[in-house]
Amino acid sequence: MMNGNSIQKTTRKGKMSNESFITLFMFVVLVALFCIACLFVPNFYMGQNILNLVTNYWYVIIIGIGVTFLLTTGNFDMSVGGVIAMTGVLSVYFCQSTDGSQPLAVGLGLPYGIAVVLALLCALCIGAINAFFIAKLRVASIIITLGTMSFARGIGQIVTLGAQRNTSLPEAYGVIGNAAIPGTSVKLSVLIMVLIVIIAVVIEKKTVFGRRTYLIGANSEAARLSGVKVTKHLTLLYLASALLAGVTGLLLASEYKAGISGRATGYEFDALVITLLGGTSISGGFGSVLGTVVGALILSVVTSSATGLLLSPDWQFTIKGVVTFLAILAQRFALDRRKG
Amino acid sequence: MMSENVLEIKNLVKDYPGVRAVNDVSFEIKRNTVHCLVGENGAGKSTLIKILTGAVQRTQGVVILNGQEYCANNPKEAKQKGISTLFQELNVVDQLTVEENLTLGMEDTSFGFLKKTSKIKKIIDVLASLEPSINPRQYVSTLSVAKKQIVEIAKAVASDAEIIIMDEPTAAISEGEIKRLFQIIRGLREKNVTVIYISHRLDEIFTLGDYVTVMRDGCHIETKKVSDVADRSELIKMMIGKTIFEAYTPPETPAVETILEVKNLNNHKLKDISFSVKKGEIVGFYGLVGAGKTELARAIYGLDPYEGDILYKNEMLNPSPSDAIAAGIALVPEERRSQGLFTVLTIRGNVPVMNMKKISNKGFINKAKETHATLEYIDKLNIATSGIEKEVSKLSGGNQQKVVFSKCLFADADLLMLDEPTRGIDVGAKSEIYNIIRQLSKEGKSIMIFSSELPEIINMCDSIYLLYDGEVKASLCNSCDINSEMIIHIVTGGE
Repeated sequence: MMNGNSIQKTTRKGKMSNESFITLFMFVVLVALFCIACLFVPNFYMGQNILNLVTNYWYVIIIGIGVTFLLTTGNFDMSVGGVIAMTGVLSVYFCQSTDGSQPLAVGLGLPYGIAVVLALLCALCIGAINAFFIAKLRVASIIITLGTMSFARGIGQIVTLGAQRNTSLPEAYGVIGNAAIPGTSVKLSVLIMVLIVIIAVVIEKKTVFGRRTYLIGANSEAARLSGVKVTKHLTLLYLASALLAGVTGLLLASEYKAGISGRATGYEFDALVITLLGGTSISGGFGSVLGTVVGALILSVVTSSATGLLLSPDWQFTIKGVVTFLAILAQRFALDRRKG
Repeated sequence: MMSENVLEIKNLVKDYPGVRAVNDVSFEIKRNTVHCLVGENGAGKSTLIKILTGAVQRTQGVVILNGQEYCANNPKEAKQKGISTLFQELNVVDQLTVEENLTLGMEDTSFGFLKKTSKIKKIIDVLASLEPSINPRQYVSTLSVAKKQIVEIAKAVASDAEIIIMDEPTAAISEGEIKRLFQIIRGLREKNVTVIYISHRLDEIFTLGDYVTVMRDGCHIETKKVSDVADRSELIKMMIGKTIFEAYTPPETPAVETILEVKNLNNHKLKDISFSVKKGEIVGFYGLVGAGKTELARAIYGLDPYEGDILYKNEMLNPSPSDAIAAGIALVPEERRSQGLFTVLTIRGNVPVMNMKKISNKGFINKAKETHATLEYIDKLNIATSGIEKEVSKLSGGNQQKVVFSKCLFADADLLMLDEPTRGIDVGAKSEIYNIIRQLSKEGKSIMIFSSELPEIINMCDSIYLLYDGEVKASLCNSCDINSEMIIHIVTGGE
């Protein structure tokens, strides 16, 4: 028998949780990749470049947070890229003045604030469709969210006639996406990303809500029998993920002052890749938002060092693929060794 | 020259960690007979069958098939050597036709196209001789369970099986189909097939069997001609023997206050069930596999729909697990690993989940409270672990079950429903769990035990309900002169 005291001792020594271990492990991988890149790519270590590395992927990180929470429950969300495009296009359409000269210049002429709220509501509708089929009817999430991915992007294409809307916009439309944090060149979007990450980490690590997210992923049947309202929980997560994608869509559309139907193509895969790089298990029950951030930075280092090595952009996908493979293999290896 | 015995089992032993499931069993099975195997749950029947089919390996002993030593490393090898099994979970593919099912895995092709060979014709002939009403071109999904079984039997016969093991084949089929199945089983004797027949329904043994072997606590008790067995009660006596039950001690103060009242509960499995549970009482529900015990627990917990009234503390209960927990009911589910535990999480991640309010404040988890609560239950239930951060998957079965108990106790429930609370755990942990249950009852908690182990029910419960086929067949108060033969008689379908 083990008495209370000796147990307390082993607890206090504090074995790191597997999530923290993987996050740390991937951070070491990140630092190593960065050092290697510094050796080969001129000026890679410069302050401005490092700042770019950290801020480059703010939009993938924001949608990656929703994807991480959902993947931790064992569910996918592939609709986020489509939602970004749809929200951007719709917010432009709602704002455009009613007296344009050609079809793509005529909008609903709504005030900016109302247009933003309406566009976000549309994003939430996509989240609600996901939630209804996945949480309520228990259809496989990959099928439903691939469907809503096309559906959302399709709406963007219809409204833009397959192109983009970028005229007759009020001045206010381009402000938030191009604003910088005073005294720096860092975009306001990056600050928003950082705030969302902090909130997400707190929810994940400190709250009952975060804990229930893990429980559902670890064993959704046992979670239900233990009194977790699984349907409600997944519904909230899908709504939150759609909302995050919607916010991202608004920021990107504002930055370009355009609603582009082809925007964010493939971002759902980038979000999934950084989530997996961060150590979140594809079968659920294991995941970390900080890990996802580290995953985004790894992706950022790899793609920009490829650019720095003057490889043509055509190489980017291949390199991304190879790095993803290697990183995830290394991660599994490390975790298995640790579990012993 | 073929011997009279198709199978001889000599001194067979199978040890699992902490328990000897088959203990020095020896008996013979005569060629072309129907040989019945009976015994209570845990008597060792299924382990014996698993050894014969190659699903597990024996610890010691010899099995002789047709005069030659027999050993199978897996079910496929057993089949090749002549022992086929009809499991409760049927091994047919619904989306294929009968013919495709029968020939699955032995198709002959020429240039990649399927060929009709004499082999296939032989199988079809066997099926036609067993049951002409089955059309080989029919899809298996259109067949009843009984006819699917016949398809499997035909497959076994055609593959020259010497022995077909049937594990409770009548559990899921209707009265009329049972008759037809029995005709076919009897007809198998002429086809040079020996049948090992396992059933809890004792009457079937008298209508169908030539020989019967009784097992108890892993030991072989008796092998007899069925015609030499006087009646059901002789069989029952052999099955339960003189099991010395741990003394049941009645509670010091009789329970009075009713906490749970169930009136006329009906659903897909349950038929008009009514009973009540009092504060501090231990109530047992005993029945065989499929009697409706788990379904009853699931209905009360709000997992399955039902008609009828369930009143808890004089209020109607909302049919949802989270409402049941909030009202003060907790369930220890039947399947520990798939329903009770989060095996990839640590003990700390498991213990508090049914009552997060107790370790949190406005939705934020208080780490100190969480650690404290986990340590408290590790101590209280004596869970053997090196720390609270140990993954639950690495604990032994008994300790895992204690974690499930911790979860339910942490929920501060006044009514605990325990579905097969000691399944698959060793003797030591079992008695610890029993002590925990008695202690809880003394503290005024009400407990419902759903179990297919009679000693467990008789040792623990103040009142006992006997279930058969979704109905309460009898209810009794526990006392020292409780008649276990009568109990077995009722739960095996006797009137």
